[in-house]
Amino acid sequence: MASASLPAYNPSPLENSSSSQNASRESLKMEPLADVALLPGEERVIDKDLIYMCPFHGALKGKVFITNYRLYFRSTDMESTVTLDVPLGVIGRIEKMGGASSRGENSYGLDITCKDMRNLRFALKQEGHSRRDIFGELFKYAFPLSHGMPLFAFLSQEKFEENGWSVYNSIDEYRRQNLPSEQWRISFINESYELCDTYPVHLVVPYKATDEDLRRVATFRSRGRIPVLSWIHRENQAVITRCSQPLVGMSGKRNKDDERYLDIIREANGTPRLTIYDARPNVNAVANKGCVFCLLEWLLVIPTAVTEATGGGYEGDDAYQNADLVFLDIHNIHVMRESLKKLKDIVYPNVEEAHWLSSLESTHWLEHIKLVLSGAIQIADKVSSGSSVVVHCSDGWDRTAQLTSLAMLMLDSYYRTLRGFQVLLEKEWIGFGHKFTSRIGHGDKNHADQDRSPIFLQFVDCVWQMTKQFPTAFEFNERCLVTILDHLYSCRFGTFLYNCESVRDSNKVRSKTVSLWSLINSDKAAYVNPFYTSDCSRVLYPVASMRHLELWVNYYIRWNPRIRHQQSPVEQRYKELLALRDQYLKKLEELQLSDSTPSSARLTNSSTPNAPLPNQHLTHLQTPF
Amino acid sequence: MTMEFSEHIKTANVDDVVLKLPLRPALKGTLCVTAHHLVFSERKEEGSYQLLLLLRSVDAIEKRMTGLSGSSGTIVIKCKDLRILQFDIPGMEECLNVASSIEALSSLESVTELYPFFHRPRELSLSEPWGLSSPQQQYAQTERLWDRWRLSKVNRNFSVCMSYPRTVIVPCAIDDITLAKAASFRQGGRFPVLCYYHRSNGMVIMRSSQPMTGANRKRCREDELLLQAAIDESEMGYIIDTRSAQQAQQARMAGGGFESKAFYHHWRRLHRHLERGKVLQESLIKLVEACGDPSQNMDRWLSKLENSKWLSHVHSALSTAGLVAECVERDGHSVLVHGFEGTDTTLLVTSLAQLILDPASRTFRGFLQLLEREWVQAGHPFRQRCAHSAHSHARLRQECPAFLLLLDATWQLGRQFPLALEFSEVLLLRLAQDAYASDYGTFLCSSEQERCALQVKENTHCLFQFLLRREEREKYVNPLYEATDLAIWPSVHPQSLQLWTGLFLRWTEYAQTMDEAREEIWTIVKERKETDRPKGCAHTTLSRHDSFTNVENLMDELTVL
Repeated sequence: MASASLPAYNPSPLENSSSSQNASRESLKMEPLADVALLPGEERVIDKDLIYMCPFHGALKGKVFITNYRLYFRSTDMESTVTLDVPLGVIGRIEKMGGASSRGENSYGLDITCKDMRNLRFALKQEGHSRRDIFGELFKYAFPLSHGMPLFAFLSQEKFEENGWSVYNSIDEYRRQNLPSEQWRISFINESYELCDTYPVHLVVPYKATDEDLRRVATFRSRGRIPVLSWIHRENQAVITRCSQPLVGMSGKRNKDDERYLDIIREANGTPRLTIYDARPNVNAVANKGCVFCLLEWLLVIPTAVTEATGGGYEGDDAYQNADLVFLDIHNIHVMRESLKKLKDIVYPNVEEAHWLSSLESTHWLEHIKLVLSGAIQIADKVSSGSSVVVHCSDGWDRTAQLTSLAMLMLDSYYRTLRGFQVLLEKEWIGFGHKFTSRIGHGDKNHADQDRSPIFLQFVDCVWQMTKQFPTAFEFNERCLVTILDHLYSCRFGTFLYNCESVRDSNKVRSKTVSLWSLINSDKAAYVNPFYTSDCSRVLYPVASMRHLELWVNYYIRWNPRIRHQQSPVEQRYKELLALRDQYLKKLEELQLSDSTPSSARLTNSSTPNAPLPNQHLTHLQTPF
Repeated sequence: MTMEFSEHIKTANVDDVVLKLPLRPALKGTLCVTAHHLVFSERKEEGSYQLLLLLRSVDAIEKRMTGLSGSSGTIVIKCKDLRILQFDIPGMEECLNVASSIEALSSLESVTELYPFFHRPRELSLSEPWGLSSPQQQYAQTERLWDRWRLSKVNRNFSVCMSYPRTVIVPCAIDDITLAKAASFRQGGRFPVLCYYHRSNGMVIMRSSQPMTGANRKRCREDELLLQAAIDESEMGYIIDTRSAQQAQQARMAGGGFESKAFYHHWRRLHRHLERGKVLQESLIKLVEACGDPSQNMDRWLSKLENSKWLSHVHSALSTAGLVAECVERDGHSVLVHGFEGTDTTLLVTSLAQLILDPASRTFRGFLQLLEREWVQAGHPFRQRCAHSAHSHARLRQECPAFLLLLDATWQLGRQFPLALEFSEVLLLRLAQDAYASDYGTFLCSSEQERCALQVKENTHCLFQFLLRREEREKYVNPLYEATDLAIWPSVHPQSLQLWTGLFLRWTEYAQTMDEAREEIWTIVKERKETDRPKGCAHTTLSRHDSFTNVENLMDELTVL
């Protein structure tokens, strides 16, 4: 019968791409860490010979180096060199695998779970407690906060051309939006975080509301997170305001101040009906449908609030007569965490290929993406039609941040620029207190913490979906998004550290750490989409149908060497050519000037940034770290 | 207009018809039925909308009476390009007349009555060449073929093989008499012929139909000689059979079969099961159903997509083609591809393998030449396969979207290698449309013989020639194209294959925004050209020519990019 001596079609000539086959024997004799540039402030902690149990290339002998910032592994195999370069901040959990007496080859060692969709396993020799020291050191440096040590961001001595901390200044951003205005003022009431300790210092509130009003409203909003303006439509003056849930409790309590305050927001641009978007699933639907997740959510919400003497809830029809309440059916942080866990199960280490699409469907990840996007679309649509909106969920720092920032990306082309996107993150996520520390668990060993959840990742995924649907509307590229996610975990920069501004202030983050935007803005060319069309200023409505969403393969399956990264060659080639063109044009101009007039003052003054050479791009385009 | 056409038209014009198109507000105007078109003109003074729909592109038509006591009617037209139109027509009689005209005129049986025989645009002349290249030209251009391969005119009267062109390329060592005998051993007379020569190592891809070994394991010395002559004594060739081993076994009961190892010593057979015929057609229907499902509740979309199995057919096509290419390029073996008739999956696999291997077939002209060689001249029965697409309620006969599958797989290649193809998705969409209904004669008929008998080349225009005209070509070029000599190995993992939304969700908003984006990218590229060129011209007086030519060259490359 048919001979099967010829292997099945192997579509992955790049399988070994991560291992540089042609690494010369010469270089292997060198001190393996010599070619890895340590970051300024980075120090070596411990080295160890061990075996990396690579899920793609099998067991690989090599050496691991732990510094106070990273875990670096290099195989000493002669045939191919595999390296791993993992910031310790990415590590979520370290466990000992096997015991001194366990049998089987390579059954004794360390099992590391990472926050960025991969796991790492190392095997060691069984005799002599060989893993004790490396486990101890790794555990200490991966979870410094659990050991009374500082995060690496506070030790880093990195210097950059650009200072990322100057990217965002709330007053400048409000000015850009033509604020303050006749209807809206900038309040300094939270200057020392007294009104709300999880809000930024500068708040934009209705001109007609006094500081006393704000204080009274704060008593009725969970954690004092009162409705404040975060974006205003230039033409129709409709606003996006954000807040936490009202504390109506089980008994349906009312608060006249809160009701009046929302009505002032409505009046500001003469909106006949204010629309309140509650990101959560409809409580009535919950009762009717008996949806387990929804029920859980509301059961969880109310008791937690009860412990603070008042219960949460939503704005009832009777109390808020000029407002319409819309539920957006987005599930809570626990649901999202489980969904991502399921996604990881089907993509790492091996992709569940037999029933790929139905497996993907069963994770519900894309369905959640769809709900978040379609919620944001509804908000953007309402605002561009001239109606002001209030957006909240329970506390107003997870789903609310997703919705407001996505709606703003749709409405305001400024946020689609490289800098504008940074401003958006600074404002809606960092400024308004998305709890990065709790959601990511920076430097904390407690991996099972129920507060952890991939809310920010989900948001970035939504942004990526938008960039896919509008390939020329965003100035930043996919690499920029991946870099942001990498440093969400890395703890190399201060940008995503801590839960809110007040804690950031007390830890002097701005003076003691470097901003992620310093890295990105010092090398902008690498993060820019060459097909960006700056005049695309209209409102962008992505299609949020399941049919139009795809899995972000280049992120979620990026550790699998079989996945080809598709976007980069286009961008790379295009950038190389543009850079070359700039060089030539400059040279031409020089030649022309030197031909006509000897003085070239104009040229030297118009200091166009030096176009980088193409081969520089090549080196830049390797995976970060 | 001939009598036959006018017989079908009882009501030629209806006023006050309302047209509903996807993603557009309803329009009111006049509907006119002609021999080959539906013409709708919006009644407005300025900028009025006109719709010109080729009746041949109607796949299915549904009519229902509406209004009080059925005083008016609605016609829903489902097109072969998956678009759905709705006409609300006042007057029951008019509605019924229009519907019956559409039904009759969209399914004309005689090829010479079809529109390509009447399409006479002013800018084209029938005396222009039809087709891009012939086997003679292919042979003449490939000098390295000459010492081992020859042109044979054994089929000059189409008497040896009805579905082959008049000339084919075969091993020098085999004379025409032997060929004719080998042909009698192959289904439909499709004896092994060369379709691709791999320059870097001299290996070839051949194709044929199945050998008619039958239940008694008949053999044919001439067929064995023919295959032996295609490779050296010392070499080993591979036969990629696009059926499962079981199917191949069963085929013997119906007179078909496979090359037994005992008689073809230097050939190894591998089976790669590709679905064909009805199964493929039903898969397409399921997919289009899922894509058109209007319900907002898309919970089960991915399951539905999976259940349609369309993407797994794309997967099989690409991975089998990958296997062929691997045999040729990596392992250095010649390959023969066949299934049953050798007119569908066989062509799918050989043409995809060429796209993977051959940079020439990835250029605009090269791709059209590939289609001409491997599909049009090689006798893919377009007439039967593309009689209906996914909407038709008619009983399935010989419909099969093999060509659509090729276009989809090509799209996947383009998606995975955005720089490698000189043509863009727009060309693939155009071909998908024209294969089913066209102004041009290229996809008419099922073989060269039929085309000759009906004088297609004398009486229709050639689509490929038309597309290559300067002003057309521009619409279909990939602005990012950069030629590469390397083989492009597609990833066939399920997570690497995507639904071709540009085709299957073409009539949605998404496709429109993607069109806009494509235009914007073009504009960026062009603007750069225009703003930079004048500068360049001003410098022509400059003495430093070297630097100037550098910029010039770069501009050209950027423009292509």
